[in-house]
Amino acid sequence: MIEAILIFPLIACLILFFIKSKKLNDFALIAYAIFHLVISISLYLKKINLETSATKLFGPYFSVDSLNILFLLILSVIFAGVAFYNKSYFKNTDRSDKAHTYYSIAILLFIFSMTGTILSTNLALSWVFIEATTLASAYLIYFNKTKHALEAAWKYVFICSIGIALAFVGIILLSIGTGSINSLFFNDLYINAGKIVPFWLKLSFVFILVGFGTKMGLAPVHAWLPDAHSEAPSPVSALLSATLLNSAFLIILRFYKLMELTHLDYFAKILLVSMGLLSLFITAVFVFNINNYKRMLAYSSIENMGIIAIGIAVGGLGIYAAMLHLLAHSLIKSSFFLTAGNILKQFKVKKISEISGILKQDKPTGWLWIACFVGIAGIPPSPLFLSEFLLLKAMIERDQIPLAIIFAILLTIIIFGIGKSVIKMSFGDIKIFNKIAPGQNVILSDQRERENLSDDAIWIDSHATASPPLRMTIGMYAPQIVFITASLILGICIPSFINQIINNAALAVSIT
Amino acid sequence: MVNMLIVLFGLTMLYMAATSRIKAHIKMLSIQGLILFLILFLDEDKTNLINLIFLSIETLLVKTILIPLFLTRILNKNEVFRDNEPHIPNFYSLVIASIMLFAGFMISNLHGQGFENVTALYFGVSISTILISLFLITTRKKILTHVIGYIMMENGIFLLSLSVAKEMPIIVSMGVLLDIFIAVFILGFLVNKINTAFDELNICELCNLKDCDCND
Repeated sequence: MIEAILIFPLIACLILFFIKSKKLNDFALIAYAIFHLVISISLYLKKINLETSATKLFGPYFSVDSLNILFLLILSVIFAGVAFYNKSYFKNTDRSDKAHTYYSIAILLFIFSMTGTILSTNLALSWVFIEATTLASAYLIYFNKTKHALEAAWKYVFICSIGIALAFVGIILLSIGTGSINSLFFNDLYINAGKIVPFWLKLSFVFILVGFGTKMGLAPVHAWLPDAHSEAPSPVSALLSATLLNSAFLIILRFYKLMELTHLDYFAKILLVSMGLLSLFITAVFVFNINNYKRMLAYSSIENMGIIAIGIAVGGLGIYAAMLHLLAHSLIKSSFFLTAGNILKQFKVKKISEISGILKQDKPTGWLWIACFVGIAGIPPSPLFLSEFLLLKAMIERDQIPLAIIFAILLTIIIFGIGKSVIKMSFGDIKIFNKIAPGQNVILSDQRERENLSDDAIWIDSHATASPPLRMTIGMYAPQIVFITASLILGICIPSFINQIINNAALAVSIT
Repeated sequence: MVNMLIVLFGLTMLYMAATSRIKAHIKMLSIQGLILFLILFLDEDKTNLINLIFLSIETLLVKTILIPLFLTRILNKNEVFRDNEPHIPNFYSLVIASIMLFAGFMISNLHGQGFENVTALYFGVSISTILISLFLITTRKKILTHVIGYIMMENGIFLLSLSVAKEMPIIVSMGVLLDIFIAVFILGFLVNKINTAFDELNICELCNLKDCDCND
């Protein structure tokens, strides 16, 4: 029964491929989402009841332990929300059945490969699944079929493939260093950690960090991330940001534990902190002049991944803070991206300078936009406040005050940069910028102008820019409202079972 | 014999760095695949038959025949035959590639603790192959050359995995094969799309996505 979490999408893909009907596509996505959620929860309950260290699936290759259950639950919850949103998102667009089917198949495969990454207990196997995520999501990024989408997809596939090839070099170097341990299962590696030659382990960590760091979006190797997130359809951006980055991070985390067991963690910590700080710095620099709100959110993802990397490196309380941050970031960022999808539907532009008065145009979207900002900025009811505060506390406890100061300053700059744009977009009057007069059909002759619009924009009648708002179904608000409410609850008082999950995950990482 | 083949493998990288004709690049890829197959055939112990058969299929069929054929088809379809004006002239990139290869040979002279699990010459040449292909990717301008650079890098990684005294589990090599295969096909597909969407297959065309457009 539980193995079906990996078999279901493959069968569903086959069926969808041969039938090609939009209704069935939507149904399959939602069915898999619910199924995924049910299975994850049942795995969680089973784990609690049996109190065993790991529940095995498919022999030794996949299992659930106290670390990856957190990641699995996040994936399930986010995917459930996105699947519902997705149905409403594609309601008013005239996509062909074929394109919609391929899109759904790609999403199913994408989720399948992420689930595989999270559950796998073997370093090489998780490598294979991470590569599979790249291939599955390439079509999703290219989905809009504009020049920009093509460029983003090319960069994504190419940069990530090279990154992942480097990660494979890391795996080979590790297997040179392991000597007589002829296994790449994490548990075998942990047990025999003392036998690994430190030189090869250090070398391999560098390659692994750069390789999987490319997928995770850490700074010097983040180049694909803003492009891909801004050009993909909004549900896909939400999935990329809230789940894909996490699953790459899980592998780094497992490898980091190996470094701790061999007492090389000082080396790993230096690398993680420098990449994390660089991520924060790059976000702080770029977020100011950005004129594309989806790119802005993508940079914010880079920032948050940097915070998580720093949290792991600080250690102790920092690891707990990083896990909490991971959970909260996934909830808030996915709803942020989905709301960005609403805005894109209403205004049909991605430029910040051409949008104002979201609140007047569409109240719920505007308030969601502001609520998401409050969440991502870490203003008190947000759980990110809690995690960032704990992280600062951990830094000060460990006498890393310069780090804490730089961290706080960079965060403040980023919040200012994002807040400026969000407030500008939310308030004020609706202005009609350029090009499209109200009531006129959008037939853009000029190729350049056409490129500035999203693909959806070209298809839909343009009245919405001026007056009556596009009809938005409840499905385009509900997932965000649920996510935001959940994160609000997290921020005010973390329910004990969630606290336990986070705590166990943090304990699984640190060896002391 | 095997050592000579490995040196030959290193020399193909130098030829790659020196020439700008894409046809020659593809030919070299095919030769590299053949060399890898020969190395495998001469060097691998024949105890694990399934693994051997599998790896021979990977090198001989996929690396030597299928991928070069596919690339040639893309080449003929898109009519890009030369990688003109690389960022660094071919002569200098030849010099730099030679230095990298030399460094690889120097590495293979290292004998220290921890090197007992690895064949030194394989290790040195494969590391320099990976470095040279990354270098070529950054200096060349045509998109097709980038794909070729990526496959060369994969060849280098394959040689590196041969250098490990014990073999990788079969599931890993299967995964690797599948990944390379699909990645190359996706990249090839994108190359075709880029050719129809943009006028030229130049990497300079792909610079529209920026963080701040200053002219608005």
